[in-house]
Amino acid sequence: MDELRVATELDTTQYIVIKIGEESYGINIAFVDNIVRMQHITRVPKVAPYLKGVINLRGIVVPVMSLRLKMGLEDDVITKATRIIILKLETQGTIGIIVDEVREVITLDSEHIEKVAQDSNKSNEHVNFVSAVGKTGDELVSLLDLNTVTLETE
Amino acid sequence: MDVSQYLEIFLDETKEHLQNLNTQILELEQDSENMDTVNEIFRAAHSLKGMAGTMGYKRMQNLTHDMENVFSEVRNGNIKVQPNMIDILFQCLDALEGYLANIQESSDEGTDDNEPLIKALNDILNGNAGADAPKKKEAADAGEEKAEKADKKEAASDSKEKWQSIKLTDTEKALFEKAKEEGQHFYGITVYVQESCILKAARAFLVFKALEEKGEIVLSNPSTQDIEDEKFDFDFSVIVVTAESYDNVVAAIKSVSEIEDAFGRELTEADFGNSAEAEAEEEPAKEEVKPAAEAKKPETKELPAKAGDKKPAAKPVVNRTVRVDIEKLDVLMNLVSELIIAKNSLVSSTSGEDTHNSNFNEQIEYLESVTTNLHESVMKVRMVPIESVVSKFPRMIRDMQKSLGKKMELHMTGEETELDRTVVDEIGDPLMHLLRNAADHGLESGEVRVQRGKPEVGNIYLDAYQDGNNVVIEVRDDGNGIDVAKVRDKAIQRGTITAEQAENMSDKEIVDLLFLPSFSTKEQVSEISGRGVGLDVVKSKIEALSGEVEVKTKLGEGSTWIVRLPLTLAIIQALMVIVGDEKYAISLGSIQTIEDISPSDIKLVQNKEVIQLRGTVIPIIRLSDVVDATSSKSPEDNMVVVIVKKGDRLAGLVVDELIGQQEIVIKSLGKYISKCKFISGATILGDGEVALILDANALI
Repeated sequence: MDELRVATELDTTQYIVIKIGEESYGINIAFVDNIVRMQHITRVPKVAPYLKGVINLRGIVVPVMSLRLKMGLEDDVITKATRIIILKLETQGTIGIIVDEVREVITLDSEHIEKVAQDSNKSNEHVNFVSAVGKTGDELVSLLDLNTVTLETE
Repeated sequence: MDVSQYLEIFLDETKEHLQNLNTQILELEQDSENMDTVNEIFRAAHSLKGMAGTMGYKRMQNLTHDMENVFSEVRNGNIKVQPNMIDILFQCLDALEGYLANIQESSDEGTDDNEPLIKALNDILNGNAGADAPKKKEAADAGEEKAEKADKKEAASDSKEKWQSIKLTDTEKALFEKAKEEGQHFYGITVYVQESCILKAARAFLVFKALEEKGEIVLSNPSTQDIEDEKFDFDFSVIVVTAESYDNVVAAIKSVSEIEDAFGRELTEADFGNSAEAEAEEEPAKEEVKPAAEAKKPETKELPAKAGDKKPAAKPVVNRTVRVDIEKLDVLMNLVSELIIAKNSLVSSTSGEDTHNSNFNEQIEYLESVTTNLHESVMKVRMVPIESVVSKFPRMIRDMQKSLGKKMELHMTGEETELDRTVVDEIGDPLMHLLRNAADHGLESGEVRVQRGKPEVGNIYLDAYQDGNNVVIEVRDDGNGIDVAKVRDKAIQRGTITAEQAENMSDKEIVDLLFLPSFSTKEQVSEISGRGVGLDVVKSKIEALSGEVEVKTKLGEGSTWIVRLPLTLAIIQALMVIVGDEKYAISLGSIQTIEDISPSDIKLVQNKEVIQLRGTVIPIIRLSDVVDATSSKSPEDNMVVVIVKKGDRLAGLVVDELIGQQEIVIKSLGKYISKCKFISGATILGDGEVALILDANALI
């Protein structure tokens, strides 16, 4: 009950917390259409390596990308916990991203979100996918900038 | 009464009537005694008049009224149908189409009164149709010429009545004479707009409108175009002809707000100078009315042109129609797609297990027949006969016959052939291009034809028919055919190909060069065709509809242009194949044969793998390389080669295994994955898996 009251009173946003390796990331729930279990992905030839292919989402063909490959990490290891998060974005349309695990939904108010400065030297590229850091309890969650994440790169 | 809600119906019905009139008048030209045709025309004209009147389009109503009068006289046997009468009637139809286009743009019919046509119609009624067919161009030219011999009235330019500086020509003089006979007045007026006025052009427009209610504006200074563009200071001058008194006219002008004042007076004969020739032209004066009215035309015509590529949203459909929102159809279509997927999944789930349960199989068969029927009927809702497009062609050929001075006839068959509405809407222009080409480039002139022992009248055929999953439209002529040597020379001359390349090219390949952008072999550029825009546009348009176009030609005997269009764009028959461990679909439409080839049959030509098949050398493409997959077969095994065809070119696609033929629903891959050129889409298989559709055309 307490949480509910907070949610209505303050400027809050809900995030889905996912795990990639050991790190936790937050995805704004407003852009999440759906979360589905890992399923067969049809490979599409001659596209960027991080684009894993397409899946059938109830009759609609949806492209799927690997967040790990996009971030420059090693390829996904599919486990029971692996999920595909279907995002609905304005510019890119519907797209799925593969994550290691989906943990919980958290509510962050604006006080607990801290913007991070964009790293101008691109040495640590995946840092740029993070737009802010949220504090929940004593944990830190990196909030993903979905537009950068899903931006097409070669 | 608010009639705007009926506008759409009005537009549709008017188009139907106009199309009908076009056809009937063409028929009338062939058989001028046929009373049925005359009656039909009369009825159509009458309904047009009634509809235009109800909607408040006065000019349209006037024109149709006069047309109706003519038909009524013809029907009563008082007037005989004559060739130039047909010409005038066609011009009337064009004018009506002009009104219609304006109405569609702005729900206003425009300001063109088409007086010359009305006059010509009245002349027919009065029995002197013989000489008075409006010769638009000549008349306009004459008007211009005379305008140059303008009178001078500059002296008055200082006074407030600036209109006196307008150069009055013999044309106006003639008008003046006529007006006088009819008891109308000529006024010269200079209108002053308040200097604080911001929208001068708008005020001027209102003044013009007010004046046009009273009478007609003969001349203005600056020109109406300049005034519309606000290219004037705070005054402009007009010459008006009207039956109203001067005071009334000035009052009408001043009723427009922000108009400072208006000065003027009635013109007298003295204002027109006293050139001798003007005196002498009392007789032909009547005829000279046309140029003035004609001169107004360009301005009114320009308006719709400026509005950009206006395209009628819907082509006229000549038969009874049910209007269905296309989005609703799309939804229906998607539902059917889902149903087919469900059916496929049922089929695939049973095929593996033992099929003792015959009842279950029966049910599946039943479901299959239901979905097939449903699919067909939904497709049919979207289908319209191509008649709605091709019915305008006879008229076009008739007009071209006159403008080109060649005798020709258009024979059409298969107008009832049906195509998806979206395709039908788009196919009109390409076909028109092909027909014009046939008429202009294809057919020889009458003398040449006679010399060659052909009948003087050239024949153009337009045949449409269904061929499997395609609709084929052939445009054929019995003219000269394409001169391959000429095309080759031209191509070399233009640097499209080198002389060496030309040596190695087959006639067919040379002819295909015609489809390249800006390639026209006709030495003389004519109005009809040959400006280098044409065949390439035809080709790209047809390809955009997933169709193809090819040409067959024989020098001296004529050419045939074959346009092949898919019946439907959403569901296709495809061959499912396996490459590596992945499933791909290849559209059945592009597949010629499937061959079993031994690896030893592969030869290398210019470092490319080819096979020989029944005397043809066919390049082969290993799909496993194309899609970056590892072939599951060892190099020694026999290969399964799917021979695909694009136009006249063949290629062999090497696949690992064949699954079989299947009806598939095409789904878009979405814009996120668009880089892969040879993948035209995806489809969902019975087991829910996604399979990609290979575009054989892009691979060749």
